[in-house]
Amino acid sequence: MSDIRNFSIIAHIDHGKSTLADRLLQATHAVSAREAQEQLLDDMDLERERGITIKASAVTVMHQHGGKPFMMNFIDTPGHVDFTYEVSRALTACEGAILVVDATQGVQAQTVANAYLAINNDLELIPVVNKIDLPSAAPDDVAMEIEQILGIPAEDCIYVSAKTGQGIDELLGAICDRLPAPRPSLITQTRALVFDATYDDYRGVIVYIRCFDGTLRVGDKIRMMGVGRTFTVTELGKFTPKQVKVKSISAGETGYLVAAIKTLADVRIGDTITIEHDQAPEPLPGYEEPKQMVFCDFYPATADADSGGKGGADFEELREAVEKLNLNDASFTYQTVHSDALGFGFRCGFLGLLHMDIVQERLEREGGVRIIQTAPTVTYQVLMHDGEVREIHNPADLPDPGSYEEIREPIVRIDIMVPTTSIGDVMKLCNERRGVFRSQQFVSGARQILHYELPLAEIIYDFYDKLKSMTSGYGTMDYEITGFVSDDLVKLDILVNGTPVEALSIIVHRDKAVYRGRLLCSKLREQIPRHQFEIPIQAAVGAKVIARETIKAMRKDVTAKCYGGDVSRKRKLLEKQKEGKKRMKNVGSVNIPQDAFMSVLEQGE
Amino acid sequence: MQGEAQASDQTARDALSGPHEPARSLYLHVPFCFHKCHYCDFYSFVDTRDRQEAFVDALALELHALAPHAAAPLETIFVGGGTPSLLRPELWERLTRHIGETFDLSHIRAGRGEWTVECNPETVTPELMRVLRDGGVNRVSVGAQSFDHRHLKALERWHDPENVPRALALAADAGIERRSLDLIYAIPGQTLGDWKRDVETALAIDPPIEHISCYALTYEPNTAMTARLRRGEFQAAPDELEVEMYEWLVERLRVAGLERYEVSNFARRGAECAHNLAYWRQRSWLAAGPSASGHVRTAGERANAFAPPGNRWKNVPQLTAWMDGVKRSEGWSPVVEHETPDDRRAIIERVMTGLRLREGLDEASLLEAAATIGDASELRATIARARASGLLYDDIDGHLTLTDRGYLFADGVAADLMSTIPS
Ligand SMILES: Nc1nc2c(ncn2[C@@H]2O[C@H](COP(=O)(O)OP(=O)(O)OP(=O)(O)O)[C@@H](O)[C@H]2O)c(=O)[nH]1
Ligand code: SF4
Ligand SMILES: [Mg+2]
Repeated sequence: MSDIRNFSIIAHIDHGKSTLADRLLQATHAVSAREAQEQLLDDMDLERERGITIKASAVTVMHQHGGKPFMMNFIDTPGHVDFTYEVSRALTACEGAILVVDATQGVQAQTVANAYLAINNDLELIPVVNKIDLPSAAPDDVAMEIEQILGIPAEDCIYVSAKTGQGIDELLGAICDRLPAPRPSLITQTRALVFDATYDDYRGVIVYIRCFDGTLRVGDKIRMMGVGRTFTVTELGKFTPKQVKVKSISAGETGYLVAAIKTLADVRIGDTITIEHDQAPEPLPGYEEPKQMVFCDFYPATADADSGGKGGADFEELREAVEKLNLNDASFTYQTVHSDALGFGFRCGFLGLLHMDIVQERLEREGGVRIIQTAPTVTYQVLMHDGEVREIHNPADLPDPGSYEEIREPIVRIDIMVPTTSIGDVMKLCNERRGVFRSQQFVSGARQILHYELPLAEIIYDFYDKLKSMTSGYGTMDYEITGFVSDDLVKLDILVNGTPVEALSIIVHRDKAVYRGRLLCSKLREQIPRHQFEIPIQAAVGAKVIARETIKAMRKDVTAKCYGGDVSRKRKLLEKQKEGKKRMKNVGSVNIPQDAFMSVLEQGE
Repeated sequence: MQGEAQASDQTARDALSGPHEPARSLYLHVPFCFHKCHYCDFYSFVDTRDRQEAFVDALALELHALAPHAAAPLETIFVGGGTPSLLRPELWERLTRHIGETFDLSHIRAGRGEWTVECNPETVTPELMRVLRDGGVNRVSVGAQSFDHRHLKALERWHDPENVPRALALAADAGIERRSLDLIYAIPGQTLGDWKRDVETALAIDPPIEHISCYALTYEPNTAMTARLRRGEFQAAPDELEVEMYEWLVERLRVAGLERYEVSNFARRGAECAHNLAYWRQRSWLAAGPSASGHVRTAGERANAFAPPGNRWKNVPQLTAWMDGVKRSEGWSPVVEHETPDDRRAIIERVMTGLRLREGLDEASLLEAAATIGDASELRATIARARASGLLYDDIDGHLTLTDRGYLFADGVAADLMSTIPS
């Protein structure tokens, strides 16, 4: 039996986790140099295109060290804050973690966040300073930062280049020497932790497992202890990174399991699998499912709004795409909604803005549907007079003013890593965003960490873009929701030609209502074409109009010269115009182009 | 840009092979110009090498091929361009003689038919006018565009405005009774006052013209004017001003006895351009010359009398390709577009062009025609809506007609009607 090492590769976004994973695969001969392509584990189209990791991937490789064979199970994780839950899951399957830090960027917000996730899970950390091949690399400084902020001695750092392969052998040695072996089984029964799951069209759900106690075998009748369902194992295997079937998976090992499970809904990440006829007395400690914090509506872009209130075929296509994608990404939620302007659609919940973008893009790409997306909003809690607390994901659902005591919004604890030179600007930004300063932490002469409390709603509204631009791209941030706090929040409605357009309503702080209202009105004025009549566009809080723009009436719509000899061109032109009009959404006899609904998403001035 | 179109293997003969009614109209396209005006998207080019003679030879061949498909007598001929008056008088003589020998011009000669030639004011000479008159031409249309040097310059249109009245007087002297001119408005930099002056100048011409076409400057794709606008060299006239100019124009011409009979065309009663009316009523006409478009309605069993479907084609818009093709295939020009008869398309086109006319559309026939291809209730509803919004009304003949306000939104009304014609 070989020694086993289970570890995750964690880092701030783009610090080189996936590239390092490539080198590990190559150095352990899991893939030949010929097969090696960049970021091999990022196999989703979208991952390859955006150059980011979205889903964690687990692989098993073999390595010889000190004359002994080692089986290494490792998981490449995503770096973006929206996918922190993927990192948490991965960590529960491991005893160790490789913390990658870019030698040119130093410790960043997600470096800190992910390192603490690992430390809190009692994982052994190996700090790795990557990209030392770059001319601007300052590995010693970065090692000092690691010591300063995370308290890991600088001399523990291993310097590597995931690009050239320099230092990889030393790293492999350290993995074998420094990371602990899996703990021995505590009980005689079998317990395996479900740390991820994907959906495959042919085999159904593929469950990623880490076995902690006992052994799982093909043919075993298993029980999911949390959801209380039983299945028969039809296939067990490992990713090497190709899927390789095995007969059994024993304590300490990582792998996958197939058991004719039809939908992801039948599987809960964090659940414990045991053997039906010899059940473990207690499940492994699991973890909480991530909560959706950002919501928006998706509507089919071509649905005819005046088709008598029915969603039509386009809605059905959207439904199919949403359901299919949800099989692969159970971390977004969806629920049917109806809007007067946009017809039937879905209100979806996401882990964050990037997650929202990715879901939208995958629906369009993989599902082949065009989507109209409404402005993202956070979850609000409304305390009613009778003490009931309602959760609201949609401004339209806000009860009438006067019928509730208060509205509470999610507050996050945010850590912002900034160059010392832009601290003033960033603090000003946080103050404008209703932030409460907590503390400030020294990283190095050039950088500091600011700790703030901020409403989540302010973060999803162009905060990150602003931060990036005022720090020339160097500012990074990580946040975590800490609770709900009440504030003076109001619903801002948009009226087009006197008719409220629900899909454009937002909830804002009273102090910002005028500013946001003006911005929205002027954006819409640019987007909505002239009609034969004048169109007022108003922003209102309750009955009070706080901003107004007017779209002047169209004065003419006629081609001067209709050259009768050749009418084909003109006919096609008029037909095209008409098609364009049909794709618009009709509100209070005004045609609103679909892009107008999107334009309110473009934030900032 | 039309020059980029690719010729197919088809020729105009394919469009005329089936049973069809004899065409009572004939269009000839002369592609030569002095200089390319910046707003122009007609097929025309500056005649550097002299290819006029070869052009007229090829035209003769083509007319010969087309002649059997023409009605006898022919009712209208229109020679457009380009600048037809750029053809040298001796070539005009040859051409008119050839037309006279190939077609039955008795109607035209008796003054009941119409033969128009478009003229550039610079090219009009007593000799040319006499040749045209003797050949049977009884109507000229002179491209004045503006009487203001600045605005002609803005259009990159090269002629001396003084020559416009002179050209019309020469035509009148030669006995060409029917005279029209073209003006353009909403030119960048043009004020309402400038425009009024242009119109007054046109109305003061002596002997008076019977017809005037006034076009708001249109930025056609792929023209120099549009490119300059995009580059920000100037600003387009605001819609408000354009509408003001138009409304004033309609009123002023009405007082002068020139009534609007199409969005941009005005004439004394009975002096409407019969050839253009044939287009707008979707009758049948033959087409000769590069880039010329023809339309010939099918004969026999007709789905509807309102808009009998027809073949539509367009000659290759390249002089060389056209000349070579015509010589190669016994006078038949290669075509770049050929649309075969289609009931729905015929109704759509009839609505699109007919709605712009003062005579409007016979509502009952339109609905009847629509009902032959499907459920006409949506169309009926669209008409009712346009009527309720004050864009359409029924004239005393029960014709569906644009109101004054409707004229300003003619495209939108047409698009609405067209899109609800059943399919
Ligand atoms: N020069 C150099 N570039 C590197 C090195 N390691 C990674 N990169 C580059 O850094 C970029 C990010 O690398 P990835 O491996 O995708 O980073 P990641 O940490 O997996 O990123 P996420 O999954 O999005 O968090 C890519 O362009 C890599 O080619 C290195 O050692 N040297
Ligand atoms: S003269 Fe007429 S056809 Fe020739 S370029 Fe000018 S506008 Fe065009
Ligand atoms: Mg990655």
